[in-house]
Amino acid sequence: MVPPQQDHDLVYNLRLSSVGPGCVTGSDVIHDLSGLDLTMKLHYLKAVYFFSSHAVEGLTVMNMKEAMFYLLNDYYITCGRIKRSESSGRPYIKCNDCGIRFVEGVCDETVDEWLETDDDSKRNLLVYHRAIGPELPFSPLVYLQVTLFKCGGISLGLSWAHILGDAFSVSNFINNWGQHMAKVNVNSSPALAPRSLTNTAKPEAPSEPLSAKQVNHVGDLWVLANNCKMETFSFNLTTKHLSNLQAKIGSVSAFDSICALLWRAIAKVREGFEPQIITVCRKDPCHDDSNVLGNNQIIRSIKASFLVGESDLNKLATLIANDQDQVCDERNKIEAAVEKDNGCTDYIMYGSNLTFVNLENAGLYELELNGEKPKLAYYSIQGVGDEGAVLIFPLPHGSAAENEGEPRYLVNLTLPEGQVFKLKAELKRAALL
Amino acid sequence: MPHFSNSVQLKYVKLGYQYLVNHILTLTLIPVMAGVLIEVLRLGPAGIVSLWNSLHFDLVQILCSCFFIIFVATVYFMSKPRSIYLVDYACYKPPVTCRVPFATFMEHSRLNLSNNPKSVEFQMRILERSGLGEETCLPPAIHYIPPTPTMEAARGEAEIVIFSAMDSLFKKTGLKPKDVDILIVNCSLFSPTPSLSAMVINKYKLRSNIKSFNLSGMGCSAGLISIDLARDLLQVHPNSNAVVVSTEIITPNYYQGKERAMLLPNCLFRMGGAAILLSNRHSERWRAKYRLVHVVRTHKGADDKAYRCVFEEEDKEGNVGISLSKDLMAIAGEALKSNITTIGPLVLPASEQLLFLLTLIGRKIFNPKWKPYIPDFKQAFEHFCIHAGGRAVIDELQKNLQLSAEHVEASRMTLHRFGNTSSSSLWYEMSYIEAKGRMKKGDRVWQIAFGSGFKCNSAVWKCNRTIKTPKDGPWADCIQRYPVHIPEVVKL
Repeated sequence: MVPPQQDHDLVYNLRLSSVGPGCVTGSDVIHDLSGLDLTMKLHYLKAVYFFSSHAVEGLTVMNMKEAMFYLLNDYYITCGRIKRSESSGRPYIKCNDCGIRFVEGVCDETVDEWLETDDDSKRNLLVYHRAIGPELPFSPLVYLQVTLFKCGGISLGLSWAHILGDAFSVSNFINNWGQHMAKVNVNSSPALAPRSLTNTAKPEAPSEPLSAKQVNHVGDLWVLANNCKMETFSFNLTTKHLSNLQAKIGSVSAFDSICALLWRAIAKVREGFEPQIITVCRKDPCHDDSNVLGNNQIIRSIKASFLVGESDLNKLATLIANDQDQVCDERNKIEAAVEKDNGCTDYIMYGSNLTFVNLENAGLYELELNGEKPKLAYYSIQGVGDEGAVLIFPLPHGSAAENEGEPRYLVNLTLPEGQVFKLKAELKRAALL
Repeated sequence: MPHFSNSVQLKYVKLGYQYLVNHILTLTLIPVMAGVLIEVLRLGPAGIVSLWNSLHFDLVQILCSCFFIIFVATVYFMSKPRSIYLVDYACYKPPVTCRVPFATFMEHSRLNLSNNPKSVEFQMRILERSGLGEETCLPPAIHYIPPTPTMEAARGEAEIVIFSAMDSLFKKTGLKPKDVDILIVNCSLFSPTPSLSAMVINKYKLRSNIKSFNLSGMGCSAGLISIDLARDLLQVHPNSNAVVVSTEIITPNYYQGKERAMLLPNCLFRMGGAAILLSNRHSERWRAKYRLVHVVRTHKGADDKAYRCVFEEEDKEGNVGISLSKDLMAIAGEALKSNITTIGPLVLPASEQLLFLLTLIGRKIFNPKWKPYIPDFKQAFEHFCIHAGGRAVIDELQKNLQLSAEHVEASRMTLHRFGNTSSSSLWYEMSYIEAKGRMKKGDRVWQIAFGSGFKCNSAVWKCNRTIKTPKDGPWADCIQRYPVHIPEVVKL
């Protein structure tokens, strides 16, 4: 373990600059934020990619910046800044080419050394993150940190405001950047054009959404205030774990069975205050275009009418898997609720209930530098509500002959500090840790 | 009087007067020739032959007359100054990675000057009214928060700008490095050892007997000073090529303090450079783009106020910056007047000079209250390249010289697209006129530059051949967007 007093020197020589679109976007180009976008304003996505020295051979930071300039010609919305409408105070994005913040750093460990002792607090050194505000027009929405390790390998740390888009958008963004690095011609897509809300009718919904809830007004500093300190930890699920799960739970997908397992474990930890409702997010198969930017993920709310802590895993898994998307998809409800007062109320989604996010189809390992995939791609959420959130994403599996101990999934949990210790014990009991 | 002078009748009177005075020689010659012709016709061929016979020429007289004519012709051709041709020139186009949009400049400004909101506010007001566009470029070192202007970064910028421009020039003209006889580099604020001209000689392996010069500290008008120097050298050295490189290196000179008078250059100065090939070789006269007609240099440094109006100094905190005084525009106006007084007689047609002389005499003798006559320079020149020092400079000159919007279009659009690139801005403006397809054979161009000191320098070029719209060059990818309307105040 690295002694704490060395942490502030672990990643040093931070140099900040800005990278924007190469072409002029034009004056008075505005991207309106929908109700769903505004629900996400207190959430931020953090993504870290680790690359070996071989993958970045012959590549300089200047090359990376240059590729970013070309990428941002299409993604100029990410280079804008938040402004509030003069009449209603509703936030929107002014596409003024201000740019994303580019941070360069140096670390004295090698990539392998880092990965051995990788944990959440250490990983925060690789992602330069600042919340939006208090000066909205001068707060970048995206930060990209490139850290150079002793061995020549690098890490890419992206901090992304969730109002711009979901984790699938982030993955698309980074993958497209990889294509620009390889000088592959990338087609720009109309899906990246700015949105104008002037003519859309406000959706009607009969009831309040379960998966998003109101929070106190945060004003111009978009930081979520938790009632307790949140802690993040992660663990791997190996082939052996999965086959054991498969034996217990029948014909559901790996994600659904992992969800069921964790739901029950957390319910046991929170005895008396079990989470009866969970939120499950996954990619919308209709929005499959690799250029899509936006909050398009399906948000489902699943309610258990029985005690979760003592329930049968099969029953839970079936409940999660069988619920029809159309019935439980809450996106319209959330949109309607936010639009009721024109986006003036502040909402959260992640952590309003225990939230599970399925990043299986996010294409996390499609990014290639010099033809090589990242050693590790890790996503997490900054700004999770008190109920907690779980991200589940696949790890790259190597050889065809899968050995039992090979990690297949990475599970990243953000929960109140007090519950983490008990949960770890519970997971040990279930032979997962 | 004003109503009368606006009338159409007076306009035609003016036109008639100009035609009369400017072609006076032709107009007096025609009656004389007519008279001679009538006389000849009257005499008849026989009369002419008898006239010829009565002149009694003998051999000695004829030979002496011939020698005399040949002698005068030789003296004339020997003492005629060599024609200096501008074969071609190349301007540096910065890469998109150096682009600085308004919003980015302001955000960085707020972060760099976080303790001085008033200075940030000042910069924002300057930028809004500057006339710059969203595509101007700063070197990579200045993009950092805070900027990291090391000497290495400055040399890096110099290499990129100068070598790009020179590579482009060599390619366009087919010039071989071994054929460069004279090299003049001017860069006002960055003067390392070895000099930038030595850097160029090293990179391109130029000859060991090259005549190289490096001009520093001479401000934004140094470009024309270099042209003047090249011209003088080319008078002395026959059959030679001279390469002039004009640039300004921004990296080491970005002001990092908070004094308002010194923050102004940060808002206006941008990356740019140009390389020009001049030659006195006879073989170049067919493919050269322009011929140099006049260079007029005016220095007002003897006046203390003029000397101090653009002054590099340290502020209270020890940050070095260039302080611009509030009388800058007034001093520029004075310098321009001086320059015009010298260049006027050289370029103005006789009609304008006569009018000016008459009004001058009138003011001295009859009534000092008569308004001084401002000669109409539009009759002397087809194109104007006014150094894009800032919007105020262009506005002032447009007013003083009574130029139309189209005449100053090249200057305004260069300021918008490239910012104030110091000594090379005149070449971006020439390039704009060529890109618009307006440069025709015989067109006269007037380049005016102002610089610290305080100097006002002018150069007059005559277009040697009609120039087709170039396919490359700094304006190639954006000329169709120009001219753009530049608002008084841009809303940031």
